[in-house]
Amino acid sequence: MGQIKGVRIELGGITQHNIKQLKRLNQYIFPVSYNDKFYKDVLEVGELAKLAYFNDVVVGAVCCRVDVHDGVRHLYIMTLGCLAMYRRHGIGSVLLEHVFKIAKSQGNFHSIFLHVQINNDSAINFYKHFGFEIVETKEHYYKRIEPSDAYVLEKRLIPEKSA
Amino acid sequence: TSQPLPPKEKTLFNRILKCYEQKQYKNGLKFAKQILSNPKFAEHGETLAMKGLTLNCTGKKEEAYELVKRGLKNDLKSHVCWHVYGLLQRSDKKYDEAIKCYRNALRWDKENLHILRDLSMLQVHMRDIEGYRETRHALLQLKPGQRAPWIGYAIANHLLKDYTVAFKVLEEFGKTQQNDYYLFDEEMVYEHSELLLYQNYILQEAGLFQQAIEHLETNKEKIVDKLSWLEYKGDLCVKLERLEEAEKIFTSLVNRNPENHSYYQKLESVIKPSNEVERLQIYDAVSAIFPKADSPKSLPLTFLTGPMFQERVDKIMREQLKRGVPPLFVSLKPLYKEQEKVKCIGEIAEQFIRSLEANSKFSPDDEEIEPPTTLLWARFFYAQHLDKIKEYEKALQLINESLEHTPTLIELHVLKAKVLKHLGDTAGAVASMDEAQSLDTADRFINCKCAAYMIRNDMISDAEETAAKFTRENVSIDEYLKEMQCMWYEVACASAHSRANRYGEALKKCHEVDKHFTEIIEDQFDFHQYCMRKMTLRSYVKMLKLEDSLRSHRFYFQAAKAAIKVYIHLHDEPYQPGDRIQDEKESSMSNAELKKLRNKQRRQERKKAAAEERKKNEQHDKSGKKNHTDTILINPSFCNFCQISNPLEQAQKFLAPLELYCSGKFETHYLAFQIAERRGTLLVMLRALLRAQKVAKESDMPNLHVCRVRFAKK
Repeated sequence: MGQIKGVRIELGGITQHNIKQLKRLNQYIFPVSYNDKFYKDVLEVGELAKLAYFNDVVVGAVCCRVDVHDGVRHLYIMTLGCLAMYRRHGIGSVLLEHVFKIAKSQGNFHSIFLHVQINNDSAINFYKHFGFEIVETKEHYYKRIEPSDAYVLEKRLIPEKSA
Repeated sequence: TSQPLPPKEKTLFNRILKCYEQKQYKNGLKFAKQILSNPKFAEHGETLAMKGLTLNCTGKKEEAYELVKRGLKNDLKSHVCWHVYGLLQRSDKKYDEAIKCYRNALRWDKENLHILRDLSMLQVHMRDIEGYRETRHALLQLKPGQRAPWIGYAIANHLLKDYTVAFKVLEEFGKTQQNDYYLFDEEMVYEHSELLLYQNYILQEAGLFQQAIEHLETNKEKIVDKLSWLEYKGDLCVKLERLEEAEKIFTSLVNRNPENHSYYQKLESVIKPSNEVERLQIYDAVSAIFPKADSPKSLPLTFLTGPMFQERVDKIMREQLKRGVPPLFVSLKPLYKEQEKVKCIGEIAEQFIRSLEANSKFSPDDEEIEPPTTLLWARFFYAQHLDKIKEYEKALQLINESLEHTPTLIELHVLKAKVLKHLGDTAGAVASMDEAQSLDTADRFINCKCAAYMIRNDMISDAEETAAKFTRENVSIDEYLKEMQCMWYEVACASAHSRANRYGEALKKCHEVDKHFTEIIEDQFDFHQYCMRKMTLRSYVKMLKLEDSLRSHRFYFQAAKAAIKVYIHLHDEPYQPGDRIQDEKESSMSNAELKKLRNKQRRQERKKAAAEERKKNEQHDKSGKKNHTDTILINPSFCNFCQISNPLEQAQKFLAPLELYCSGKFETHYLAFQIAERRGTLLVMLRALLRAQKVAKESDMPNLHVCRVRFAKK
């Protein structure tokens, strides 16, 4: 990672013109399928959803949404990933750093959290590396894949001191 | 005029003229009424004519013609009447008639500047250059103080190849200009510079190279277009065999723009390198100064061979695959005429892929590690290579593999569509192209490509829907694309209709393409005056040359070919009104489905018609003028195109420009042969056959043989 010359990773916005690229990505990366409402919502969240360009080719994406629970705001990562051939080149890190940046700039987020299939070791290690912890196990979270259990990974953010 | 007016009426008449010039038509008509309501002048020719002219501007064309003709009849000696009649004809684009009217007008008023100017415009437009010269000469004698007559007279002589006269006229004109005048005005500086370059252009066309080069030197300071100056001087040095000087000039030109291929050609012709190595030196010298320039790197590939070729092409491929340049294959395609090079390129690409797949390097002993996109583009390139050497199945396999890894790359889908097209699977090609365009719906190029592939698969309504994403709302696709003169679309549709035996619709599209060419020729009219004012004379003269052979363009060739084939078919199998041709989709439907489809079509036609009515009304409101050209038929009766009594005549009309401008193409003569065969004109058949023989290529041999046999049988 990082020794290769001439690599550019850039993030781009998701619009109704290129949303199908996101659909294709999710189709190839994740074993779960997302419905039309998911993509409709993605168009509304602005900076919370991005495409990742590796040397000008769309290879990955991240989609988040704001989750409010008992009056507390959390940032929930719905999907984050990239095509198999392009993994271990730093794209995931760029995507996650972007999420951190958004969380910080928009403020008022108690934590960032996401679900991971319990056998997805590489993902678990990836998020642990960035300061996430397993805080819960949700049994039978996934409806159509095995194993159906999921870990909840969470990273507490230092809350902004309000006046 | 034989009907002079007393002072009061004369003032009124002058007011009518002023109103016409200032477009105050209602007032003009009022004044005309005042004159004509007086019983003494009820039949005053000139007033009637002016009334008619004014009415023409408000859209009442028929009445206008009646009045003007009446006025003319009453006063045949009036230059005003003739002039007005000429203006009327011109507004209807009947230029030959208009010229006749102007000439008549001039008989009664030889020195009328207005008429002379109008006449000259028409003459150059209709390419009556002799007449143009005469008129310009008259204008020059009348107004030697104005600029335009000089320029016009010079251009006329130039077009008639009277180069010495043209040059002298411009020299004399130059003398009448105050010399330091233009130092203060940028526009005048530019215009004078253009004038000098035009003069020089004339000298070059006349073959007076020595004079031309001296002219360039004398006027070096005044010519501000330094690039043209250098290019002209370079060419002239070559013609005068001043090779050392030429070399210096072309070298400086290359340093100005290292991507202009013609400069390298000229450098080579001047330096005359004796072998590959010396040739290469020229390009390498430029590369040393401009390391990022593409041309000096890629041009040598055309003449290098063997190991040198391999070394160079390997280097270029590495650079561009690393950079991720999609059109790498397109730039190497010209090399595919030589089998050796094809093999070499293929082997290099294969090796790259193997090595990149194994350990992410271009070759095993490389140090640098490549990102995964390099492999992606290498595969993409190799797939195009396989497609070109007709290994379609392999290409498809490679593309599909690549798509598994990177399904988001639009170029892969486009390539897949292309390969499927080559395999003859037009439906599969559409599916791939549709996938490509759905990934980026803001990309107009892909949208056009998708529409084109749909048309090729006879999915014309789908193509229209696709194209509609980028056309204006509330206007039907056909209308919009016709307005935009989008000829590739019209030609593709014509072919598709023709394949589906919908001859009327095919012919309609072919005629529309033909009309576009007529329009483009028509469009030059305003430039006759404009270019003289702006002094862009070199471009003007080149434009005239272009317009002269406009129908040599391949769009016309394609449309004419399609039309002629249809007309020949209609001659062989005349159209029966009862024929209701169904397209593929329709013939497989049940009656109920068919009824639903017809209702849908009728609704769509109504919507189309409503949109066009709205558009017509908008235009009507704006100008108060009815749109005379292109009355839009609500239910285009395509039968009109098919039910003609003499289809071969129509075919001949399309053929004429082809014989004039496309005589190097086999198809021209093949079609001419077929028409002549059906007319039974043996000599014409023979002539077409002989011409076809001269230009036939290997792929044309079967058709040529058929022609020979059919001729022999006659």
